Amino acid sequence: MSQRWSNLLVWAGTIAFIVLVSKAAWAGNPVNGTSLTNLVVLALPVAGIIAMSATGLVVVYTTTGVFNFAQGAIGMFLAYVDWELTVAHGLPQAVALPLVVLVIAPLLGIGLDRAIMRHLQGKQLVVQLMVTVGLLFAFVGLANMIWNQNNAHSMPQLFAGKGFHIGDVLLTWHRFITIMVAVALAIGLRILLVRTRIGIAMRAVVDNRDLAALEGARSSVLSSFAWALGCSVAALAGILIAPETADMSTTTLTFLILTAFAAAVVGRLRSLPLTYLGAIILALATQWMASFLRFSDRWTNVPDALPTIMLFIVLLLLPRAEVQFARIGQIRRVERVSSVRDTAIGLAAFVAFMAILTLFLSSSDPTNTNRLALGMCTALLALSLVPLTGWAGQVSLAPLAFAGIGAVAYTRLGGAHGSVWAVFLAALVTIPVGALFAFPAMRLQGLYLALATLAFAAMVEEVFYTQPFAVGPGERPVARLHLLGIDFSSPKSFLILVTVVFGLCGVGVVALRRSPFGRRLVALRDSEAASVTVGVNILETKLAVFALSAGIAGFAGAFYAMSFGTLNNAQGFQMIAGLPVVLALVIGGVGFVAGALFAGVFGFVTLFVQDNWHISLWIALFYLAPGLAVLGIIQNPSGAVVPIGEGFARLLPWRKDAKQEYEEMTAAAAEPEVGELGLERPFAESDVLLVDRELGISNDVPRPVAAARSS
Amino acid sequence: MGLLEIDEVSVQFGGLLAVDDASISVPEGCVTGLIGPNGAGKTTLFNVITGLQAPSGGRVRLDGADITRRRPYRRARLGIARTFQRLEAFGSLTARENVLVALEMRRRWAKSRYDSGKIAAELLERVGAAQVADKRVDSLPTGSARLVELARALATDPKVLLLDEPSSGLDEQETDALGVLLHELTADGLAVLLVEHDMPLVMEACTHISVLDFGRIIAEGTPAEIQADPSVQRAYLGTAKSAS
Repeated sequence: MSQRWSNLLVWAGTIAFIVLVSKAAWAGNPVNGTSLTNLVVLALPVAGIIAMSATGLVVVYTTTGVFNFAQGAIGMFLAYVDWELTVAHGLPQAVALPLVVLVIAPLLGIGLDRAIMRHLQGKQLVVQLMVTVGLLFAFVGLANMIWNQNNAHSMPQLFAGKGFHIGDVLLTWHRFITIMVAVALAIGLRILLVRTRIGIAMRAVVDNRDLAALEGARSSVLSSFAWALGCSVAALAGILIAPETADMSTTTLTFLILTAFAAAVVGRLRSLPLTYLGAIILALATQWMASFLRFSDRWTNVPDALPTIMLFIVLLLLPRAEVQFARIGQIRRVERVSSVRDTAIGLAAFVAFMAILTLFLSSSDPTNTNRLALGMCTALLALSLVPLTGWAGQVSLAPLAFAGIGAVAYTRLGGAHGSVWAVFLAALVTIPVGALFAFPAMRLQGLYLALATLAFAAMVEEVFYTQPFAVGPGERPVARLHLLGIDFSSPKSFLILVTVVFGLCGVGVVALRRSPFGRRLVALRDSEAASVTVGVNILETKLAVFALSAGIAGFAGAFYAMSFGTLNNAQGFQMIAGLPVVLALVIGGVGFVAGALFAGVFGFVTLFVQDNWHISLWIALFYLAPGLAVLGIIQNPSGAVVPIGEGFARLLPWRKDAKQEYEEMTAAAAEPEVGELGLERPFAESDVLLVDRELGISNDVPRPVAAARSS
Repeated sequence: MGLLEIDEVSVQFGGLLAVDDASISVPEGCVTGLIGPNGAGKTTLFNVITGLQAPSGGRVRLDGADITRRRPYRRARLGIARTFQRLEAFGSLTARENVLVALEMRRRWAKSRYDSGKIAAELLERVGAAQVADKRVDSLPTGSARLVELARALATDPKVLLLDEPSSGLDEQETDALGVLLHELTADGLAVLLVEHDMPLVMEACTHISVLDFGRIIAEGTPAEIQADPSVQRAYLGTAKSAS
């Protein structure tokens, strides 16, 4: 479909959506000068906050290439620091605010850049994203640990909530200042980017990172500066929005950033004026819904979904991505593809291990058995991403949404009495939904696709489960499977069942990787341009892999539903709950079946910790653990299962070659530290080879370094 | 008329005319050379032929059929194969798997079944990359990776082969072997379009050469004619000489 027609379609759909929703939900309030003025006065401060948050995202993304999910969490954390200084220690805001925004925030930004972010360049997109997601959880955990959430926190507005009236609405000085700060930020950034040396360098990086580096833009200085600026802006937004929330909930403040995604994407993650425009449109639309529309029953959550609906629409309007040239060796991965036989033996051993383990689990108290079963469901769900994200390189943040659809399908299509067919129907229902994603995936590359899946997950959460045909209000009972005359309703037998299902799917997935289709997926990821020139049909391949992934996720969803026992509309499948699954898979290793198993174990351990230690420190650790794991990802971007597997294989008498194989594998994937070549350190022989390789001129005879330097 | 006809193709990037009204005919059974200074538009022209870049004007014909609007994978299936100036091998697959991906695509529309493993081994042998068959391609030296790309292109069983600087990264011996291979391929009836900076190789292998400069074809002819052409020497050979 041509660009023009598809854009026309999206616009028509959007307008139809707006008209239909407005008509159906019309609250009957009069639309006149006063009510519209009120709308604008209420919307502008919100627009200011959204614009600030989005600006932070854009500045960091354009300069460093990292899309920072933790932007909101950083703002939340720094707002709490400001709270500590003002409310707890009585410092006047006039001192505390500049201190936090201009000193503490930039220091935090520089620290983050040096410790973590700088090491993300050239890593897989999913790894980059999950490191910032891990950071998000870490900041929430840290804040919960320091500022006990059982006590109420609140921050007073600036000037104690005084203000002036415009029409009927009181515009507090606080909100007025919010608008002014957003405007000042826009002007300040404009001057920075156009008039100053560092700003011009930042813009140069936007246009071409490699070229800017060659022209002497010092990327390390730039990225530290961008992170410092990003954190300052986050702090501003956090401190200004905190008094507007009821109780400074750490999670509310953190996830406000999701509203900024749509605005940032309007600016295509680079244009600040368009980002501001996006923020204003979003704020006006939100306020329009609040002022003139009423949503009830199954549509209650539509206003909450608005930012993600807008994000989805804007993504669909982006111009079609060009065929991607990859160039060999840009991203290096450790990937060991086990043989189908080895995988089958390994997974059979795991099933046996689990069966023996059940002998030691308590029969009277099934809590741990149920947790283990839920962990195996998580493993099965994570497995759905191994072909899609691990091999085909398509980042999906919506596996849990597909599982949710599968869970609903199972429950409504026979799962209430444990029909076997319902399990397969669950997969069958999700497959076409997943396949539909291949179409946006043809237009959107990388990050944009990831954001589209995130928006999809949010929309499913807000408007799907509440529908009467799905779950609706109240609870729906779910029965566990009857199969071949066996009733799997007891916790232990169910655990074994899920483990066996995971084992079978795991072997199937490895067999797939070894098949022509699996090779084609990896080929597509490694070089789209080369794939099409050998005759690979990208659409067909993406359709297949999205369908496959959704099918496995839907399958997993059926087992989730059985594991839960009942289904209600808010339970278990929220967009946010999906992120830790992806995170755990990335920590384990996104290209490995064992990585999916790792995610399952990770899920079990967090459930165990969460339920067993009711001390705030440990609950905080529940968040902090994934945050700390971030550091592990940087050490080992291919996944924890690589060294774990090697350690395990060494114990096996017939795998004497394991150590050597591991060393060869990691050496092949080792990335040369380019850093500030020529500025911080001289060229080494390996650098000469690297440059030659990049330019494609190497004869692969290592030239003497001295000769290379003197010429 | 050539098997592959590039007919008054133009490509515009913003204000820049990267390819300006270029026409080239690539007949079967011989090597056609395409030379020109860096940035002349050679790779852009390759992208137009393979469908990775839409031209702003002109036509591409294969066997008389207009393929200007065909999707890239369709053109591959019609028999156009290429290698890339900057490597585009499937880095995390082995050399053998790289070739297999292409072979398996072919198998899907070929009528008879055949042993792709055996053919892959033969192709790697033919281009001289047999000894690296089971190595991951991103761990290979540039030269070997180029040979793998060549084997992968041949695996699609092409009618037209576009080679974008195949000799860069190869040592002298390998370059000679490449020259021999080109002769073998054309003897089998393949049409080859060769972009190359190695002048001895070009002059030796090509029967006909087009010279591209700033997107325009400034000269065409036999190697001898091209070498004698003063405008070519000005645009290309002359500057190359003074630079080296």
